[in-house]
Amino acid sequence: MRIQDPRLHTFVALSSVLTGVETVQLFGTGQAEAYLVTLGKILPVALLDDLFKRFEALPAEEIEAAVEHQVLDDTRLGCVAQNIILMWYRGVWRRLPDDWRASFGAFPEDENHLISGAAYQAGLQWEIAGAHPIGARHQGYASWSLVPTKPNRRNTA
Amino acid sequence: MSILDRRAIMVDPGVLKNSGHYDAIIVGSGVAGAIIANELAQAGKRVLIVEAATETDRSFKGYSSYLQHFYGQADKDNQSPFPVNRNADMPRSGQLRKLDPLEINSTSYIVQSGPYVTDTVYTRAFGGTTIHWEAKTPRMLPQDFQMQTLFGQGKDWPIRYHDLEVDYELAEREIGVSANVEDQQYLDITFRSSYVYPMHGLPLSYLDQRVAAQIDGSEVELYGERYPLRVRPFPQGRNAIPNQKYDGGKGYQPVGAVASHQIDVGGRCQGNTNCVPICPVQAKYHAGKTLAKAFDTGRVDLLSQAVASRVVIDSASGRVTGIETKLYHDPASPDHHTIMITGTLYVLAGNAIETPRLMLASGLRSSSGLMGCNLMDHAYLLNWALMPQICGTMRGTTCTGGIVELRGGAFRRHQATFSVDIHNDGWGWATGSPASDVVELVDAGNKFGADLRQAIIDRVSRQLLLAFMIEVLPSESNRVSVNPSYTDLLGNMRPVVSFTVPDYTLRGAAYARQFAKTVFARLGAEDHTKYDPSDYGFVTYEGEPFAIRGGNHLAGTHVMGTDKATSVVDTNQRCWDHDNLYLVGAGSMPTIGTANVTLTLAAMAFRSARNMIMQLGRLHAPVQT
Repeated sequence: MRIQDPRLHTFVALSSVLTGVETVQLFGTGQAEAYLVTLGKILPVALLDDLFKRFEALPAEEIEAAVEHQVLDDTRLGCVAQNIILMWYRGVWRRLPDDWRASFGAFPEDENHLISGAAYQAGLQWEIAGAHPIGARHQGYASWSLVPTKPNRRNTA
Repeated sequence: MSILDRRAIMVDPGVLKNSGHYDAIIVGSGVAGAIIANELAQAGKRVLIVEAATETDRSFKGYSSYLQHFYGQADKDNQSPFPVNRNADMPRSGQLRKLDPLEINSTSYIVQSGPYVTDTVYTRAFGGTTIHWEAKTPRMLPQDFQMQTLFGQGKDWPIRYHDLEVDYELAEREIGVSANVEDQQYLDITFRSSYVYPMHGLPLSYLDQRVAAQIDGSEVELYGERYPLRVRPFPQGRNAIPNQKYDGGKGYQPVGAVASHQIDVGGRCQGNTNCVPICPVQAKYHAGKTLAKAFDTGRVDLLSQAVASRVVIDSASGRVTGIETKLYHDPASPDHHTIMITGTLYVLAGNAIETPRLMLASGLRSSSGLMGCNLMDHAYLLNWALMPQICGTMRGTTCTGGIVELRGGAFRRHQATFSVDIHNDGWGWATGSPASDVVELVDAGNKFGADLRQAIIDRVSRQLLLAFMIEVLPSESNRVSVNPSYTDLLGNMRPVVSFTVPDYTLRGAAYARQFAKTVFARLGAEDHTKYDPSDYGFVTYEGEPFAIRGGNHLAGTHVMGTDKATSVVDTNQRCWDHDNLYLVGAGSMPTIGTANVTLTLAAMAFRSARNMIMQLGRLHAPVQT
């Protein structure tokens, strides 16, 4: 998979709406491909195709409301979309809920796991909060004593 | 040539047979063992260190492998950098559960015999628990040494603060402590004139400053006495800016990362907020730094993957004649062979659980009967809240400042003291934040997109966690024992811990909770503290619920004293029963006050090392005719 891959762009564009973080920052984590590969290992191709097609069909204006109603509120796609949010913020895959698995399939790779040590460090939860992943990407001696940098309040994309 | 290349450290067990040429055999490579090894070696003595773990982190590559292991663990508990080694197992806090009355849980390494379940841990690795410690290094208060005389509680030490003062300075040099004397002069803690710490203190975090802005200058009243409050920086065993006034103007050279080649890490603390379980850059002291100097003398050998299994005694003289040791070849296999290691002096430097465990497994209960008794650990009570403003939480060292004015006072006649840590890592210890916040916001809050992003800022960067480190006094029924029913893979008996949180401590906890509410109210912070009845550390006191956490400050189990009927070791940590055996570490401490134990046990190690050198001198002196 390459950065020009349209499927990767669709995944990151959807992820941007779900996470509230610009696509350039998501690519900048270095984890976009790894997360899409993870999704591909865990979930059937048809399910991912449905997710991406649903997103691509949404109107560009008021995209947040459209994603909320067409993706997050969907009983089949919503849980997957929430897991995508958690994957970006935490670097982990969380096993889908039991009732989802009963309805749509219990896939063998669908188990709680950390994607990788790099994914842990790239988790958005730290930087968004004006912090750094605990144990990595330190901010430097005495930086902790300064007024925190004002976290970016809105996605300006 | 580098420090580590000068000496092939792993000795061939074959050469140890009938060796008898070591002046001292030291069991354990933690801070106490390391200091003693180095002091003896600098005095020209030959030393063998026996370490149960592998020597993985002796090299920079090995240390880095711990860090990579940490990054790759889904559950980053406080032992997560250290791979499981069942031949030298260690407690891991993720393995605990609440006990039913009279139930014993033997599924974790420490057999929990209750009634309270302790989540205390220690690390069996090269360098011992200093590879994991937070490196907060306060001295004990002078009043902590006289608990019985001054307050009618606990025990008096057989030595006083001033007896340890110079050794505190040696320990602060060895560990490389960063602090400012003017911040640490409180409650009668004294320093010799013109003394400065090796390095300047680390600055308070922005979060500390926000707390200080509201509470500095306020007071609390306790048993009719008023105590002024302020946020003070803690002394820390991690590199900061060297103080040029140190050592009469000679200054101090910080000790960087232990490595076999020049590397650009190990300088100043960089604020990884990850002191526990591992400092990514070795800015934090660990015993490997002292051991590197010791090995550099050429007089210290290391036998790793060697588990001391029995202390062998000559029944007529009481002297130790050897230490039976099991050597395993692979951490993944219990295959091993057993050798006898001999020397002139023997030093057990495990920790306050492993050292008495080995003594008791050898049938050595001490004529006082106190081996393993009086187990102490600080009881931690966590209180957490949201500050009214963004505080930049999750930056810094784990903890830079706190409230220490209630470490001492007349109220100690009635209830335990505490020291309050302001945690820079937010609610992590209490709730698993920030992961728990993100999950809650997504699942329960149905947040996504820009709203989620804003909610995370709002939730995480305002977090304040006050961790109360509460004093626990010695009690003979709080103890470490062994039982042949519970063994490890090598057939060594595992520690069995029986523990109750004493009422004296719980009274302190009840006041701590009230104190936290007062502080939160003064800060305008929203209290989010709740204690779950299913928590393994859940206790109630006078109807109030608390969840108590262990502090990993284990002490008391081979208590120091003035006679063999009421103590295990003398003031030099030498066994009353065995004149060539020293039990060193916090196990010798009669009480622990509200000081994290490492600095004090390091100071005591210097004291003991001097005594060992004198004893070796006497033993080797020509016989007078």
